[in-house]
Amino acid sequence: MTEFLTAKNLTVKIIICLAVLAAVMAGCALVGTQNISLRNVFAGPGAEAGANIDYDIFVRVRLPRVILAALVGAALAAAGVVLQAILRNPLADPYILGISSGAGLGVIIAVLSGVTWGFAAGSPIAVFAFAGALATVWLVWAIGYFAGGSRVTCLLLAGVVVNAFFSAVIMFLTSIAKSEQVFSTIFWLMGNITEKDMPVLLAGGISIVAGIAALFAVSHRLNVLSMGEQQAKDLGVAASRTRAVAFALAAFITAIAVSLSGLIGFVGLIIPHAVRLVFGPDHRQLLPVSAIIGAAFLVIADTIARTIVAPAQLPVGVITAIAGGPFFLLLLAKYSRKVGWLK
Amino acid sequence: MTREKRWTIPIIVIVCLAGVLVLYRHSGADKPGRSFLKPAAVVRPERIVSLAPNLTEILFALGLGGKVVAVSNNCDYPAGAGEKAKVGTFWQPNTEAIIAAKPDLVVTLWFEQQKAVADTLGRIGLNVLTFRIEKIPELYAAIEKIGLAAGCEQRAKLLNGNIAGRLNALRGKFATEKKVRVMWVVQTEPLRLAGRDTFINQLIELTGGENAIAPTIQQYPPVGTEELLTCGAEVIIQSAMGTADTEQQQRAAEHFWSRFASLPAVKSKRVYVVAADCALRLGPRVPEGAETIARYLHPDLTE
Repeated sequence: MTEFLTAKNLTVKIIICLAVLAAVMAGCALVGTQNISLRNVFAGPGAEAGANIDYDIFVRVRLPRVILAALVGAALAAAGVVLQAILRNPLADPYILGISSGAGLGVIIAVLSGVTWGFAAGSPIAVFAFAGALATVWLVWAIGYFAGGSRVTCLLLAGVVVNAFFSAVIMFLTSIAKSEQVFSTIFWLMGNITEKDMPVLLAGGISIVAGIAALFAVSHRLNVLSMGEQQAKDLGVAASRTRAVAFALAAFITAIAVSLSGLIGFVGLIIPHAVRLVFGPDHRQLLPVSAIIGAAFLVIADTIARTIVAPAQLPVGVITAIAGGPFFLLLLAKYSRKVGWLK
Repeated sequence: MTREKRWTIPIIVIVCLAGVLVLYRHSGADKPGRSFLKPAAVVRPERIVSLAPNLTEILFALGLGGKVVAVSNNCDYPAGAGEKAKVGTFWQPNTEAIIAAKPDLVVTLWFEQQKAVADTLGRIGLNVLTFRIEKIPELYAAIEKIGLAAGCEQRAKLLNGNIAGRLNALRGKFATEKKVRVMWVVQTEPLRLAGRDTFINQLIELTGGENAIAPTIQQYPPVGTEELLTCGAEVIIQSAMGTADTEQQQRAAEHFWSRFASLPAVKSKRVYVVAADCALRLGPRVPEGAETIARYLHPDLTE
């Protein structure tokens, strides 16, 4: 399969996937707890605030939410591909090296310290989550590097231990927090997609798309890297440098995704595997296709989450796991004999 | 190889710059502070949406019940509130449904999930009032502010006067009595009690009681059996879980506490289960909750 991956072939596949994503996003933006008419939406916002409810709901509530879901899904799936490749571990996901606990710690510190409650226009939680995620990943990387040099096992173990340690700190802080603060943190940890300001979406979108593009630029080296250190050396690829760059980029886009939407599980683990099963393991294709499919998957999952128990909503992580799990098992049963990764 | 090497570094730099931009936007440093309420915009709101049970109770107590068009799924009191349209749960309000209710005033609490919704609504141009109500003085302030926003300051003053009057009456009645040691149980497995830095503690002290647990770093401390047996609680009050059968919860509580037979409260059979909404909801029914607790603490002094 991989021998026949030409530039033209790849471009066509990516364009088809993008078209599917666009269709999914458009379709999901039309679905919601309220029925709205597209004609009213195109009539514009109206003279005064609240004059055109259909416009407000479509443009200011649903579109930002659908776009956010797409961005987060793309970032998580792409980061999952990269971490599975550089750690050469099929259980790797974007959170495996400490991002989840680091971000969680950042959030609970933000909630406990109560920074700028009441009048802030921005969200201190997002800033703390982003900083916590990146700082923790850096810590894990540094520990792994000093302990084991280039061996990935040390990196993985460092990630597990730092995760456990920070989880304990989170538990301690939760036990002394007030009940509403605890709930705020728990709901954040579950992951949620909400409406964001357009400038925030724009900045997040630029960062995530740029990060995925940069990963795409090194994706052919991930092929070599996933074979193992020695083979990479034999083929003339500087393994540790490639790994550092790819890891930094993956951590960066994951941290942005996490700061925008909390911890949404499953997407970063399952989408790369599903795409690998169906399309094959070549990272030049696996990375962009996973990102696009991940985006479409999270958009659909979030649409289900916000409509299925209307007017209430479910955490989107519930849907990603409940709907995605069986679907993935089907794929696994159907395709696993054909591809080499799982052998 | 070389072509792609040339591009890697600039792309990373661009990515990092974009990240800084995200942080900047998120920090809110580029926007001026904004008050959610535009005071001149609404004097007498006609369509109010409430996202919290205690705020709904305040609105109804101020006679604004007829103007409430939608409430959260958790708003169950008074009876009229349950019949209103629903706009999602207390923890996950549905922004879309709130907008569709065409409100001219939305009242929310201050915690993260509701604040996020309040931000979105504020951006759309709706009037939003966000309250932080954790202790009794904040309840008075919230009632006053809602009264001001809805053009019924007189009624708000009356309501506050009524609440303060009833609470002061209780305080005066028991001020000279010997303090009763009270243990307030939030959940039994694992055991968690209400500590001193809580609204519950305020209620206990107001009704002539004293928390049996010394100050703790946790708001709702988990407590070991040793501490439990030596705290000398004369009354145990347990807040009911949900609205399920209180009678049955009372029996379950008595059974649970019977294993600590040396506790004065268990010896004298003074273990009570109270409905959580009345005792724990910081709204206009606080005096009722306080009066209930007073009856448990001083059965001989209250009729």
